[in-house]
Amino acid sequence: MEGVKDILIIDDDKDLVQSIRIILERCNYGVRVAYNGKQGYDKIEAKPPDLVILDVMMATDTEGFDLAYKLKQLPEYRNIPIIMATSFPQAMAEQGPEKFQHILGESWPVSHFIEKPIDPEELLSVIEKILTERKKEQ
Amino acid sequence: MQLGYELIREQLFFRKELIERLPWLIRLRWIAAGGGLAGCAAVYFFRQTLPPLPLVLVIFVVLMNNLLFKLIWQYVPPFKYQKDLPLTSSHVFNARDVQSFSFFAHVQISTDLLALFLAVYYSGGIYSPLVHFFIFHIILTGILLPPVSCYLYGILVFLVMGSLLLLQQWSVVPIYPIWFHNTLFSNESGLNEIIFRYFTLGTVILVTAFLVTTIKLSLRTKGRELLQLSKALDESNSKHTALYEMVKEMGLCSEPKALMDSATRQAARIMGVKACSIKLMDEQKRTLRFASTYGLSEDYTKSKDSIDIQKSPINRKIIEGSVCAIGKIEERDYFQYPEDIRKEGIASMICLPLRVDKMVLGVFCVYSDAEHFFTESNVQFFELMSDLTAHEIEKLKTQLNRNWFLQKSAHQLRSPMHTVISMLKVLKNGYLGPMNVRQEETVERCKKRMEMLDSLISDLLRLSISRANLSLDALRPVHAQRVLKSLSGLFETQAREKAVEIAFLIDDELPAIPATERLLDDLFSNLISNAIKYTQPGDRVTVSLARSEEDKIRIEVTDTGIGIPDEAFSHLFTEFFRAENAKLYTEAGSGLGLVIVKEILDQLKGTVTVKSRIGEGSTFTCHFPIR
Repeated sequence: MEGVKDILIIDDDKDLVQSIRIILERCNYGVRVAYNGKQGYDKIEAKPPDLVILDVMMATDTEGFDLAYKLKQLPEYRNIPIIMATSFPQAMAEQGPEKFQHILGESWPVSHFIEKPIDPEELLSVIEKILTERKKEQ
Repeated sequence: MQLGYELIREQLFFRKELIERLPWLIRLRWIAAGGGLAGCAAVYFFRQTLPPLPLVLVIFVVLMNNLLFKLIWQYVPPFKYQKDLPLTSSHVFNARDVQSFSFFAHVQISTDLLALFLAVYYSGGIYSPLVHFFIFHIILTGILLPPVSCYLYGILVFLVMGSLLLLQQWSVVPIYPIWFHNTLFSNESGLNEIIFRYFTLGTVILVTAFLVTTIKLSLRTKGRELLQLSKALDESNSKHTALYEMVKEMGLCSEPKALMDSATRQAARIMGVKACSIKLMDEQKRTLRFASTYGLSEDYTKSKDSIDIQKSPINRKIIEGSVCAIGKIEERDYFQYPEDIRKEGIASMICLPLRVDKMVLGVFCVYSDAEHFFTESNVQFFELMSDLTAHEIEKLKTQLNRNWFLQKSAHQLRSPMHTVISMLKVLKNGYLGPMNVRQEETVERCKKRMEMLDSLISDLLRLSISRANLSLDALRPVHAQRVLKSLSGLFETQAREKAVEIAFLIDDELPAIPATERLLDDLFSNLISNAIKYTQPGDRVTVSLARSEEDKIRIEVTDTGIGIPDEAFSHLFTEFFRAENAKLYTEAGSGLGLVIVKEILDQLKGTVTVKSRIGEGSTFTCHFPIR
């Protein structure tokens, strides 16, 4: 008997968090939310989720990336899959991929990127895919 | 070594006259000999008593000599090599080069004088009208050779003429009659007249020598001053050219660190010193930290990494606007720890405030390993360099701030919109319960309008960033075919969704062009998405990238779409313009796509041409240079 999957949404945009929560709850996922990196980390520490949906730019431009790198350095949280919700591709097109070389390093801390505005079906299929892969690995 | 070179250079500068006059003398001698022969013929014609044979012989010898001189000038290496040598050349001269010209001049003048003596002797001695020609020789010697040579030749002429007169008086040598006199002159004229003529000739020669050498010395002093002035101008010119290059290089930097590294490296090179540093003040204006160093050891920069301005009187003074030029580190109590500076091999330095108007950014220093290295003009020049560097740093900071603001605005504008679109999608896809048809249609319209707004914001920001970045993104070699290939998949999907046929014809062998990936990506995306947007299902878009003429690459995007009406052509590259048929065909479109295309082509120094017929399609052709 498999339990309800626990998904943590970390984003400073409360309306967006609410939208994602609606989509996920509709599909019977357990949803917890955090509105900044610190809160998010505290909730992960309290109970590691099955998956994290993370925003990039919160209080600082790279708050999401900072948290993702931090999690990847800690053995107990290293394996938590992270979906990064971002306007990143657009930002990349505007500013040029060269500007992101320092972020796009060797060790990529994120399992998947999902572009904002979020498409419910795309989000659900990505979550499904990642969780299935995780299950296979286990 | 350097001094010796300078002296020889100066000497050679003054020998320029000599070098130019040597071939001139040879040419002049042909004319003189020709004149002499004509004179002899005239004398013979008037049946004068002159002995024509010795005179003709003298002239013949002169001609032979001249032929020899000409051959030497043309074929003997030292003259052949040097005669066209520019004096500004960096060729290292040696003393022998200069001496060989003087020697050649002496040989020519001596043989000429000898010939003139013989001519004078055969044409009446002291009574000969040819004695006046001695003056020409003295003038030439005075101009071409050092003053002492001029006086020596003058005295030589005087003595030899005196000896000739004595030998004639004592009848050791025969007296030849003067022109137009049929009888011997000496007995009739009397000794007094001879002595008077002789001393007059001597006085004229010596006075001429005096006048010529005095004027020449004064001209030489002026020439020396001119030479020094030209040297100073030369130095100043090369320094300013180097400064221009430095500013140009700084202008190409897109990071403050790179800009300052370029400034310290170039400043050390241009000032000819061992090291240079830039220290910047923190926000609170309390401490100075090294922002860039060139030629300083890591130990030194670490030991002085953070300087408390209040505790450092010297740095405080500089921040307040003083120029600090120290000729000798130990001379006064400038430093708390002069031994560190000595250990670093620094003997003298200049430190200046890096200042934009009245705002001080930090301290700019150059360090030399020689004591008292910096002159007042050095300090002034470094002040100029420091001002320009400060302006460049400030300009780049302003540009980076503007970019940061634009990027932040992009995020702030886009975030709420993305949230609204996400929420609309949640609503429309029924996650909050079913909607009736009219509700669904209205939500769909909302979503569509928001997406158009999103694309408008993207275009606007892209354009603003592209304009703000104008001088920030340095162009570097990019392979356009790779950029286009990486985009082809995306546009193939887009075209397929709209049932438009698309074909990419890409030449794989194209050379790289000066660009950035972002610019090419934007350029291609705008052209291709436009073509797909205004082409009906079933029609076709062709994208070709190839080499056109020499040094040009061409991208051509052809569609069989709706076309552009004639009256729209002149407005195509105007902000927010959309042709009437385009507006009717689709709502989506900001009217900025082609403006972005034009801006990018301006940056890449490319061109764009458009051909179109309404209802038949359009072709956009862009050319950009390979170099």
